[in-house]
Amino acid sequence: MEINPATLPRYAIVYHPFVIRRLYIHNFRCLENFELPILGQASVLLIGKNGAGKTTVLLALEILQRIARGTNRVGDLVKPKDLTRGRTDVPMRFEIEVLFGDNIYGYAIAFEFPKGFKELRVLEEKLTFNGAPVYSREVAQVHLARTGRENEANFFIDWHLVGLPIIQQQSTNDPLSIFKQWLANSLIFRPMPSLICGESEQETLQPNLPVTNFGAWFAGLLAYAPSAYTKIDDYLKQVMPDFKDIKNPVVGANSRRLVVQFSNEQGSMSVPFEDLSDGEKCFMICALVLAANDAYGPLLCFWDEPDNYLALSEVGHFVMALRKAFQHGGQFIATSQNGEAIRRFSEENTLVLHRNNHLEPTIVRPLTELQVRGNLVDALIRGDVEP
Amino acid sequence: MSVNKYRPHVLVLPEDDANRQLATGFSLHEAVATRTIQVLPEAGGWTQVLEDFFSDHATAMDQYPHRLMVLLIDCDGDDNRLQRARSRVPHHLVGRVFILGTLSEPEALKADLGTYETIGKGMATDCREGTNHIWGHPLLSHNGAELERLRPQILPILFQLP
Repeated sequence: MEINPATLPRYAIVYHPFVIRRLYIHNFRCLENFELPILGQASVLLIGKNGAGKTTVLLALEILQRIARGTNRVGDLVKPKDLTRGRTDVPMRFEIEVLFGDNIYGYAIAFEFPKGFKELRVLEEKLTFNGAPVYSREVAQVHLARTGRENEANFFIDWHLVGLPIIQQQSTNDPLSIFKQWLANSLIFRPMPSLICGESEQETLQPNLPVTNFGAWFAGLLAYAPSAYTKIDDYLKQVMPDFKDIKNPVVGANSRRLVVQFSNEQGSMSVPFEDLSDGEKCFMICALVLAANDAYGPLLCFWDEPDNYLALSEVGHFVMALRKAFQHGGQFIATSQNGEAIRRFSEENTLVLHRNNHLEPTIVRPLTELQVRGNLVDALIRGDVEP
Repeated sequence: MSVNKYRPHVLVLPEDDANRQLATGFSLHEAVATRTIQVLPEAGGWTQVLEDFFSDHATAMDQYPHRLMVLLIDCDGDDNRLQRARSRVPHHLVGRVFILGTLSEPEALKADLGTYETIGKGMATDCREGTNHIWGHPLLSHNGAELERLRPQILPILFQLP
């Protein structure tokens, strides 16, 4: 059958609900006037040489995440040493635009370091909903816009405190609440498996950067959505065919400890979570990411080098499982130096970060804009992929 | 514990980066069972695909009878290249080796159909649903007979049919 190509559907950028549309960072470490050309894609890979700034993008997002999770003291978020080359005459700025369905949320915060100060203070802060301000702020003065039946208001807050965690949300449906919850629930990871022991004393839906609170996240996820266990179980049985189950028994007055059981025709054995291999712990994290995106997503997941600790034969499947899970909701961002991981992305969703030297800022280009001849991974090995 | 070698699975050996991205798009289709398909590193040219197949994979296919292989090569305008390549597959492996490719180069498909991943996903949809939206494109339609041979084999392996 011959068909007319003109009648075929053409590719268009599809904006998935709850995705970052724009991320702008200025005067933060190696990122100067830096805009991540992410354009609402469901999954994106950041590649580049060591020191190019991939992890700094993650750290910038983590600052925004920590604000949403309640850290409001500026000195706990950024330090003077985070200013690019110690430059104090220019504000440090973070701006994020997120598409939630048909709505666009924007949050921007700028910090400055005036002479005589010991820590940075807030210079500007603004949350917008479809372009209209929810609140805006200059130094200590906050202007709360009129919403619904609430009148507009002006008040002062300490200029060493960020406003987002402090300003009272009116309901769980107001833009402030929706944006803050999405950002707080985002999964921003640099897992350190050797430090993940599986113990917990509480429950959470918000794993930390090294995922050392894995046990609390497991408990929180299953308390929030018990059906999430099915997803966890499905994934782990694919990856480890002898996986039987995970138990989280009480081991003290207020604590629990994860135990993983394996079984096959030869018998069964229980393994304390802390005794799993680093790679197996990453499988566990991946299982929870997939289940969490279903249970309380769509989420943002930024995973710094998800291929770390994995066998070569596993890397591709691991990355593809994450990409597939986020393609119909949420957003998956990864960094990688691993050829197998890099091959699981394509030119339209791969961004190349580059720095000429330590005195110059990071630049970023979509791979589509670079002339890479032949095999991408070979070109990366040769060091030929530079903007 | 990657692709289970002892269960039916598919290895895809792409000629180049463009074909590799097509295969990635295919694997991203929501109905494709992730761990039943493995896209191998690009061989670097159609002759290299065949060399790699004979040097590395033919023997392994004897060892793993549940393995199917799909070789992706470009015809570069040579209508007979696919047929010549197929004729070199050992007779006892013909039922498990499939050779597909674009008539020119996949780059030409992008202008009509979008990104490689989008095209790859469309190819998977066609395979699953028996449609011809992507495979019917003038640069791909010559694969029809090979697809007819391939489809019944990979459907039960790759797709989680409802």
